[in-house]
Amino acid sequence: MKKPLRIVTANKLALTNLATAFALLLVGGFFGLLQGLNRAGVLTIVGGMNYYEMLSLHGVLLILAFTTLFMNGYLWSAVDYVLGGLTKGIKTLGWAAYAIFMVGAILVAIMIIAGEATVLYTFYAPMAANPWFYIGLVFVVLNIWMSGIGVFISAFRWKKQNKGKHLPLFAFFAVGVYVLITFGTAFVAAEVFYIIPWTLGWIDTINVLLTRTLFWAFGHTLVNVWYLVAVSAWYLVVPKVIGGKLFSDSLARAVVILIVVLNVPGGFHHQIVDPGFTEGLKFMHLFMSLAIAVPSLLTAFALFATLERTGRRRGGKGLLGWFWKLPWHDVRFLTIMLAMISFIFGGAGGIAQTNNQLNQVVHNTLWVVGHFHVTVGVAVVLTFFGLVYWLIPHLSGRVLTKKIHNLGIWQTMIWTVGMLFMTLSMSYVGLLGSPRRTEYTTYGGSATALEWDPYLIFVGAGGTLLFAGVVIIVYIVFHLMFLAPKGYTEFMMVEEQEEDAHKTPKWTENWGLWVIVAILIISMGYVVPLVDLIGNAPPGSPPIRTF
Amino acid sequence: MKQFWYGLALLLFLALPPVRDLLESVMAFHMHMQMLLLFVSGLLMEPFFQKHFGGVFDKYNKTGLPGVVLFLVILLYWMLPRTMDEALEIWFVELWKFVSLPFLAGVPLRDSWKKMSQTFEIVVFMILMVIFSVMTYLYIFSESTLCNNYLMIDQQTVGWGFAFFVLCIVMYILLVLFTDQSQYFGDDSEA
Repeated sequence: MKKPLRIVTANKLALTNLATAFALLLVGGFFGLLQGLNRAGVLTIVGGMNYYEMLSLHGVLLILAFTTLFMNGYLWSAVDYVLGGLTKGIKTLGWAAYAIFMVGAILVAIMIIAGEATVLYTFYAPMAANPWFYIGLVFVVLNIWMSGIGVFISAFRWKKQNKGKHLPLFAFFAVGVYVLITFGTAFVAAEVFYIIPWTLGWIDTINVLLTRTLFWAFGHTLVNVWYLVAVSAWYLVVPKVIGGKLFSDSLARAVVILIVVLNVPGGFHHQIVDPGFTEGLKFMHLFMSLAIAVPSLLTAFALFATLERTGRRRGGKGLLGWFWKLPWHDVRFLTIMLAMISFIFGGAGGIAQTNNQLNQVVHNTLWVVGHFHVTVGVAVVLTFFGLVYWLIPHLSGRVLTKKIHNLGIWQTMIWTVGMLFMTLSMSYVGLLGSPRRTEYTTYGGSATALEWDPYLIFVGAGGTLLFAGVVIIVYIVFHLMFLAPKGYTEFMMVEEQEEDAHKTPKWTENWGLWVIVAILIISMGYVVPLVDLIGNAPPGSPPIRTF
Repeated sequence: MKQFWYGLALLLFLALPPVRDLLESVMAFHMHMQMLLLFVSGLLMEPFFQKHFGGVFDKYNKTGLPGVVLFLVILLYWMLPRTMDEALEIWFVELWKFVSLPFLAGVPLRDSWKKMSQTFEIVVFMILMVIFSVMTYLYIFSESTLCNNYLMIDQQTVGWGFAFFVLCIVMYILLVLFTDQSQYFGDDSEA
């Protein structure tokens, strides 16, 4: 009898999340294009929405909405696949989470478009938005918590039914991701529930620095959640695509645990130039920020080992011969490989930014925008794009055609060149002092500002290429969902580890302990600044509407 | 033996003047980071002492109880606000801190831990929970400064730090009591 093909049973739920994610990418990407052209000095935004409304919407749609929905769609699929299906109750929870997200996203988007929430995606106080904007954010957080509950229950149930066995690595990553984002969102929930009474006029003033601190405990964690989602693909999908093996199951699990327990206090480095904290405190936090580099370096080691071993098995000789034996013509590899390479530069830039003196030079400049477009826009998003080519056909019961595969190669090239133009020019012009979060201006013809113009042209050019890349990837997603020929596409996940890898220790499964360790480390990071901020609270600020 | 070198390196690192200055400049760093790391350095160095002075441990710490009592005495001593002041002002008290926490708290506790039953381990955690709860109350609600070298806000910060220690200990006790921790020992080769 023919063995039934393994498939994701919650495919409609996953596809709905993914389709919505890419629809929002199209809208958010369009506003990114307009901003890029504006910063290049070739487009003046008049009438309708102003630059800052567009910037707010671009950030919220891409940084909060696209990434969250993609993460949900991808990880729901992975958990469903490796745990042998989700129960009906969990699927219902998934749909409820999606509905809650949509309510929140619509509230947030309407408020921004109506000009009631021009506070950018970081919504720093004392800039105040309409209370409905923050209420919408609460719904988005609820989506994350509900999705997390679904994953935790599924994993717990599987462990009960499979006593003594390790949770499959993909599900282990998913548990890690949702534990981490639950920690992060706890901080932003506290912030939002503090801001809402302030915007409603129930309290007169707000402790600005406290809200920023709560925000970055969340914001930094969110960044690392996307990173962890991408890392799951690097460990599990890349070896499968290139025909290799997992370097070490234990190492992968150790990396997940380290990222989860060390991450949240790292958020403080986003406040390295904030007033109100002593340099000693900032220096202590430097250790916590740099601690996150440890699992990243472990990952780099494991991935290079996988690539080298596989390249040599494919006939690669000499010191670097293996490199050229890798399947560069395969879009599923090319995308993720470029993403991983970009992370070397993005990660190095991030480490450099933890330097207090350097940060003072670049903090409010386009350098920072360049940095996060490398880390998020390439390392994370290009990984997400790379997953599309097999995940969506698997879910929709279709196959990737040669034509769409080749279009994918073009899309990857356009995206990479676009990002190179944009991030390099942003980084350089940032060093020259060009500010971020600012509409195009020459500051009355100032010589210094005019010096930025030649580089800013590349920001616009890069933005244009990137929008072309967005249009192509959205078409590819649409094609793979509805137009591609019917058939079976394999779920790409490596199941074998190298023979010489260590046996996985059982302590890795002790999630209860990891949660306690994480709480301890978070308290080490945040008790000192939070007690100081609350105990020595300034008079605070009333709400301020700028744009 | 690798652990011994890591422990010794940590101890020497913590003794470097700039590291000491920084960690003693904030009360919470002093109490919850420097002292904790000194204790951890002792935990790491224990195998060395076990190897070379195993007879001493066998003779004086046969049941594990004396080691725990010694650990608790040292811990309670360093919980007194006055001792922190003295460590900052009198050099031999500072030296005593660098000797007592690693060698009289960390080393004996690790030796004792191997000899204790799980029930006794939980009892030790419960004792710590009670001590830290008292410290939480004392440092948060005291109306005057308890340490001359630190401000009221520093003191309250330490109190909140203790509150989180208590929270983590309570969670750990519940975890140990209500889950089968033996399932997390060993590796796949034993499956």
